[in-house]
Amino acid sequence: MIKENNCNKLIEEAKNLLKQGKVQRIIGFEKGSLRFTVTPLITSDTDAAERLVINPFIVNNLSNFLTGLKGKTAIVAKGCDSRSIVSLIQDNKVKREDVVILGIPCNGIIDLAKVEKLTGIDKDKIDNISLNGDKVLVSFNGGKKEFATTEVLFDNCLACDMPTPTEYDVLIGEAIKPKPPVSQDKLNELKEKLPAERWLYWQEQFSHCIRCYACRSVCPACFCTRCFAEENKPQWLSPTPHWQDNLLFQITRSIHLAGRCTDCGECERACPVNIPLRSLTKEMYDIVDDVFDYKAGTDKEDAPLMASYESEEAEDLFL
Amino acid sequence: MEENTDWEPRIVGFLCKWCSYAGADLAGISRKKYPANIRIIKVPCSGRVDPLFVLKALRLGFDGVLVSGCHPGDCHYQTGNYRNRRRFAITKKLLESMGVDPRRVQASWVSASEGGKFVEVITKMIDEIKEIGPNEMFTDDKRKQLQ
Repeated sequence: MIKENNCNKLIEEAKNLLKQGKVQRIIGFEKGSLRFTVTPLITSDTDAAERLVINPFIVNNLSNFLTGLKGKTAIVAKGCDSRSIVSLIQDNKVKREDVVILGIPCNGIIDLAKVEKLTGIDKDKIDNISLNGDKVLVSFNGGKKEFATTEVLFDNCLACDMPTPTEYDVLIGEAIKPKPPVSQDKLNELKEKLPAERWLYWQEQFSHCIRCYACRSVCPACFCTRCFAEENKPQWLSPTPHWQDNLLFQITRSIHLAGRCTDCGECERACPVNIPLRSLTKEMYDIVDDVFDYKAGTDKEDAPLMASYESEEAEDLFL
Repeated sequence: MEENTDWEPRIVGFLCKWCSYAGADLAGISRKKYPANIRIIKVPCSGRVDPLFVLKALRLGFDGVLVSGCHPGDCHYQTGNYRNRRRFAITKKLLESMGVDPRRVQASWVSASEGGKFVEVITKMIDEIKEIGPNEMFTDDKRKQLQ
């Protein structure tokens, strides 16, 4: 459970780090302008660190801000975020000694869209949402409603296998054991389709894509300074958003994410046209686990998945 | 497929210069017959094959893609084929999970002395692709029918 007193512990920790000059800046969350939401806070000011919060709405994967930073940084990281950081360390994008990871054991993040759908009212009219064990209490209009966490947490949180950060300097709160993954209709429906239907499904989804590259921008594993999508000699993709090229872009992105994707779910949340991107990235996440028994961001000493090999593996796929 | 009985599959083969390309050469020198449906591209090593090559070939309408290199342990550059193996495995698995017939995307290990195996691989692959039919992954027809 993410508690208020942990919030104070975080603020104290952050202030000390800044005061003692151990870090140049801190990356965390502060209260957002919309109800219940949070927004990233990046500051080197000790007083501003007062604004740091931890609550069940800290959705973003802040490790995206780490690449390219100079100097030492303290960063607030949930389980999945810490894995992204480890993955960046494996790829030599971030030096371990340059980050102070303030680990947050995470019980899952509440999806406000799901809450709005369940209660049928806008989040602005909800008085309070609180997470308590495996129940979520929503109070509005003087009344109260209780939901199971499985109904209101983000899909990726329901499949989370590492709620406690794998790598941290300070753990804010107590370690949490992973819960058994909840079966997910969205993924199951797709898996039950016939192959031809599945391909049609993706055609349909990617015909909405406007190629804004929000998925790429928000993804910590998409750290290339020059993406293959913009290469023009040879040109792999047409820059105009035809569904064929949109699909090709996303398939290739998923391939590049193999062994890097930590299933944080940011791509799907960032998508302005609601393409179920996580259905694709999770597929790759599972393939990597099945074929190579590998989970991204669990060991900073490991070589990146695609930069290493075993002498015998995956032979059944070769003629 | 019914209306177009003349259809012959076209597949592209990325063959490693040291083994599979030499294997294909040997098949020719030994006057072995294999279907002429393959267009061969010589690559320095199977490790050179980026998954993008495979995807781009499918995007361009090729009915199948073959990636072929030296047997594990025999790579001229020591580890190129091991790297190809990881990359190819995830590419094939992902495409399969998205609904692409896995028989369209194949990989094999063919050494320079295996002219016979090269013939076998190509013949099998072409037969299978004839069974599956033309690559319509990136054509607009099916979507239009749907609408």
